[in-house]
Amino acid sequence: MNLNQKEIDVAVIGAGPAGLAAAIKAKETGAENVILMERAEQLGGLLHQCVHNGFGLLYFNEDLTGPEYAHRFIEKATDLKIGLQLETMVIRISPDREISAVSSKGGYLTFRPMAIVLAMGCRERSRGAINIPGTRPAGIFTAGTAQRFVNVDGFTPGKRIVILGSGDIGMIMARRLTLERAKVEAVVEILPYVGGLIRNEVQCVHDFNIPLLLEHTVTKIHGEQRIEAVTMAKIDKERNPIAKTERRIECDTLLLSVGLIPENELSLMAGVELDPITGGPIVDENRQTNVSGIFAGGNVVQVHDLVDNVSWESELAGASAVRFSRGEEVLKKGKIALRAGRNIRYIVPQTITGKSEVTLYMRVNEPEEAVRLRVGNIMSKTFRAVKPSEMLKLDLSLAQLKKLKERTKEIVIDCERRGGR
Amino acid sequence: MPKEVKIICIGCPLGCAVRLSLDDKGEVIDIADNKCKEGQKYVLEEYEHPVRVLTATVLTQDSRQPLLSVRTNKPIAKSTLVKVMPVLAQIRVRPPIRIGEVVKTNILGSRADVIATSDLLS
Repeated sequence: MNLNQKEIDVAVIGAGPAGLAAAIKAKETGAENVILMERAEQLGGLLHQCVHNGFGLLYFNEDLTGPEYAHRFIEKATDLKIGLQLETMVIRISPDREISAVSSKGGYLTFRPMAIVLAMGCRERSRGAINIPGTRPAGIFTAGTAQRFVNVDGFTPGKRIVILGSGDIGMIMARRLTLERAKVEAVVEILPYVGGLIRNEVQCVHDFNIPLLLEHTVTKIHGEQRIEAVTMAKIDKERNPIAKTERRIECDTLLLSVGLIPENELSLMAGVELDPITGGPIVDENRQTNVSGIFAGGNVVQVHDLVDNVSWESELAGASAVRFSRGEEVLKKGKIALRAGRNIRYIVPQTITGKSEVTLYMRVNEPEEAVRLRVGNIMSKTFRAVKPSEMLKLDLSLAQLKKLKERTKEIVIDCERRGGR
Repeated sequence: MPKEVKIICIGCPLGCAVRLSLDDKGEVIDIADNKCKEGQKYVLEEYEHPVRVLTATVLTQDSRQPLLSVRTNKPIAKSTLVKVMPVLAQIRVRPPIRIGEVVKTNILGSRADVIATSDLLS
């Protein structure tokens, strides 16, 4: 496709679950020319290597595996004849929305779509991000890399495995590798609770009697060519290792499941302002960034627990991008800031207009039981328990937003203890 | 002395560690420490018939893709998960296979079929 000769209404960067949902929504809401830019050779992103189930429980009301979830969106994108630019790496987006990309087939290309949706997703934190002392042998992988080896390429990374961090992918790999007859020696988590979903703790770790060591960490890596062992220790309240609790575990592989980072290098080039807490663009309820005509959805905005929410959030971005591309409706950047109050880590969107109903996504700082989330003085909702690992959602209706005063500039959201007020 | 088992409920982020008291025959006589009724139902089922959908991959032949992702089309007994894996390891599939196609019927007499969860093209 010669992009220069064609007017592109919406260009979507990344064809994982976020990009697929955004592009489909853009096409369905009437955009004529939608193009999906993807660096890999196929659509679907990381879903192909997530062969486990648990996808789509909310979106489709079905328990699907990653490839099945992707398939539904890929079929739709194909049916809708969305323009595909595969094996194409976007290398730059300018503040005036000019996209520069390279591909082995098309060479260097630049074009300027009417609107852009950022859907680059996130990447894993690696050993460099957590500074584990010791040697630098082979055999240390992020959980997602190991997942690709086992589920796509067809080999297991090792036979005796230690997993540092209890994110969802780490726990899912603990199960997967156990079923592939590797021995998972331990899942080691620095916090007093697991980093992933409760169902994964039960069905991936406890189901297979894998030792789960909370408030522990890896303090040293041993081995010259290949990793031979790790030293781990219990930690104290300041998260310092307690020397006398150190012990050595022989292993040939260390997997890291220590968090995900939204991938925003392109966003920064375009002048998109990021939220230091989420690591993603600051957006309003239409998922518009501070740069006019640039929208964002999915894990590039905030790391989600569930793909269902990635799809929904990106559909918002796709639909908004179409409206912008038509110039039909001026999307006003949100004027009311949402501020994280007691025990709230972040809120997405960061700003709202107060003029349309909105779903708020939030995380808490600390686990707590019997709480009430209070959105200023317009609504509140009780929760039996909240955990940093489980994203919270709150719907604000138009009727509730009408309670806002005309001059409201900020709404504070608190996670209050019930009863003890 | 009644026996006791603990089952973590996965119904909500609370993750109640629910205690089930058992008589000599292993029958549940009391359920405690759950904070809701659904939790009671869940742990009872989880104690009596724990089931899981098994997801895995099988090897391919004559395909650029070394593996095909698969799952059981219904949950199977938790205790059979590890027994099914060696059976899957023997399977070789050839393209073309469409998503949802049965790769192995009634695996290990579980009445569940193993189905493809993606397409396998040549």
